[in-house]
Amino acid sequence: MKKVMTAIRYTFIYLLLIILSFMVLYPLAFAVSGAFNQGKSLASMNILPIPNNPTTENFTRLFTKTNYLNWYKNSLIIALCNTFLTTVVVLITAYVFSRFRFRLKKPALMSFLILQMFPSTIGMIAIYVILNRLGLSDNFWGLILVYTAGNIPYNTWLLKGYFDTIPRSIDEAAKVDGASNLATFFRIILPNTLPMVAFLAVTSFTQPWMDFILPRFILRSDKNKTLAVGLFEMINGRSNDNFTQFAAGALLISVPFVILFVINQKYLVKIMSAGAVKE
Amino acid sequence: MTKKADLTAPVLSTVFMGLGQIIVLKQYIKGILFFLFELVVLLNTNTIIKAIKGLITLGDPKPHLPVAERDNSTFMMLDGLIAVVVIIIIVIVYIYNITDARKTGKLYLKTGNIQSEREFLSEMGEKAFAYFALSPAFVMLAFFVVIPLIFAILIAFTNYSAPSHIPQNNVVDWVGFETFRDMLKLKQFSQGFARTALWTVVWAFFGTVTCYFGGMFLALALLDKKIKLAGIFRTIFILPYAVPGMISLFIWAILLNGQFGPINRALRELGIMQWLQSIGILKKDIIPWLSDPVLAKIMLIFVNLWLGFPYFMLMITGIMTSMRQDIFEAARIDGASKSQQFRYITFPMLMYQTMPLFIMSFSYNMNNFGGVYFLTNGNPPDTVTTQSFAGTTDTLITWMYKLTLEQRLYNKASVVAIIMFLVVAPFALYNFAQTRSFKDGEL
Repeated sequence: MKKVMTAIRYTFIYLLLIILSFMVLYPLAFAVSGAFNQGKSLASMNILPIPNNPTTENFTRLFTKTNYLNWYKNSLIIALCNTFLTTVVVLITAYVFSRFRFRLKKPALMSFLILQMFPSTIGMIAIYVILNRLGLSDNFWGLILVYTAGNIPYNTWLLKGYFDTIPRSIDEAAKVDGASNLATFFRIILPNTLPMVAFLAVTSFTQPWMDFILPRFILRSDKNKTLAVGLFEMINGRSNDNFTQFAAGALLISVPFVILFVINQKYLVKIMSAGAVKE
Repeated sequence: MTKKADLTAPVLSTVFMGLGQIIVLKQYIKGILFFLFELVVLLNTNTIIKAIKGLITLGDPKPHLPVAERDNSTFMMLDGLIAVVVIIIIVIVYIYNITDARKTGKLYLKTGNIQSEREFLSEMGEKAFAYFALSPAFVMLAFFVVIPLIFAILIAFTNYSAPSHIPQNNVVDWVGFETFRDMLKLKQFSQGFARTALWTVVWAFFGTVTCYFGGMFLALALLDKKIKLAGIFRTIFILPYAVPGMISLFIWAILLNGQFGPINRALRELGIMQWLQSIGILKKDIIPWLSDPVLAKIMLIFVNLWLGFPYFMLMITGIMTSMRQDIFEAARIDGASKSQQFRYITFPMLMYQTMPLFIMSFSYNMNNFGGVYFLTNGNPPDTVTTQSFAGTTDTLITWMYKLTLEQRLYNKASVVAIIMFLVVAPFALYNFAQTRSFKDGEL
């Protein structure tokens, strides 16, 4: 009797897993088949995710008739600069908070914790006015500075926590040997925390690709559009006419992300459980 | 001269910064630095006063001038805000200059020693590195995080809104609580607001709970050693997390499209649609997934689950694999069944460990713009409170976005922002109190 119950239970779980897999895969497969489908509209698609007369014309049209490549380039520039600036600023800030004693250290760290909890969208009107005042509206640097500033509080906490785990006695020994602040940082702290720094770099690289509100607000001109804004305008309200072209554009962004995530899933599991309360 | 150094030095430093340090205490370098600081401040007094005046008046209408030369109220407000920050810094340095003179004077009377110039310089060098290294982070935070938050609050007390109070054509004025009163008094707005706020909380609650338990179920099922191919299933279930959210949301909007969406088409092919029509549930051969207020809300939560469960699945997998196994061993020996183990050990432990992340996810969902905007755009519109510009599925953040970008009612958008701030704050503070460094008091 017990064996039968167990068998029924596992059959049920397998069945559920298969149904859920279908529900996860179908939307993605439908979009992929859309990218290779002949014809522009949603109505021209099969219900099953098999393209009609497979073709690459959607990609050609994307590259020749729209500014897709320009959007891709803009997003790439912003992502690279954001990665660089965020990593450098956060590394320095976290290092100082971890290793130096100075006035106002505690209040500063506390305010980081609180600031980290409010989304930058609350202040978006003000950010727009400030960038205008600084002459940085419709400018990549304006957007990058806003991203980096928003990244500082949370990531400083994250990295400071990691730096704290490296015994202070090691860098004190180095200092006695005459190493400068910078030398201890590059020779001792950085090599020991490289995986965490890599994680910070990857998250700040992925952040700008699909962010919508800020680029929509800050980058007003056509030539400065990012991928998120460009794709939004391509599909919003015209999902029936432009679907296959959108699917082609979406595929080209998603593939690198999917590869990155699937390869690093073991690592992801570790990083994500880092925020939990320890036993 | 130095007999009453603890009195003369601070008094002289009050008269002009650095005087006490130079004349009484003979700390020339420190004194000159303070002196120069006050000099720079005095030379810029006019600019500071002008900026503060601007903050108070927000400019006067000058219709006779060309648009580009008129007062720009928002810039004046920003300059004024920066001036206030500068004044606070000046006051802090000024007070520091006095207390420093007093402390050094007292120490001198007690011990007869005064910090030498060399000692001062080496101490400065050590501290200067820290401050110098932190300055980029602090300047960026001040300009792009702190000042925007204060600015957003201030806008709620002005009439900064289309059509007649947009700089540089017109000036903006302080109006006190008028915007708040307006939003309460205008039925359209107060009702639209209440409806949107309620839906925001409902959406955040169900959005978090469904993802949490969905993710937990899959994590536990796939960790069961008897399940074969767990690795393949897990890789499949990571996909919604890997594909950028905005793209998945658009794909779902397309799948749920009433006329041409493949889901409705499949239901038509299978004859289910016709059957639903024949028993009178549907009027047309369309299931209004995203155009019926109730169904659209259910779909929002469903699609959010589709997007969000992998996060909790991965997280709970990580926690479970690092959990101590001896407790389960002991429970097994004591004869606890699997369901008992889950009820009394696994579940309480998971809840305890994931609480901060659960709360964080809740406040994330409250501010989740894309999850609503890209799927429904806030639609279908509400027939009763059209004047509030909030659709039936709009949450506070998408409503605020619409008020800002589409309607340019910045003051009303700021009121919404303040309310959002007040709603998120308790959760933020709770989480803050839960963090380990706060509890241990170490930071």
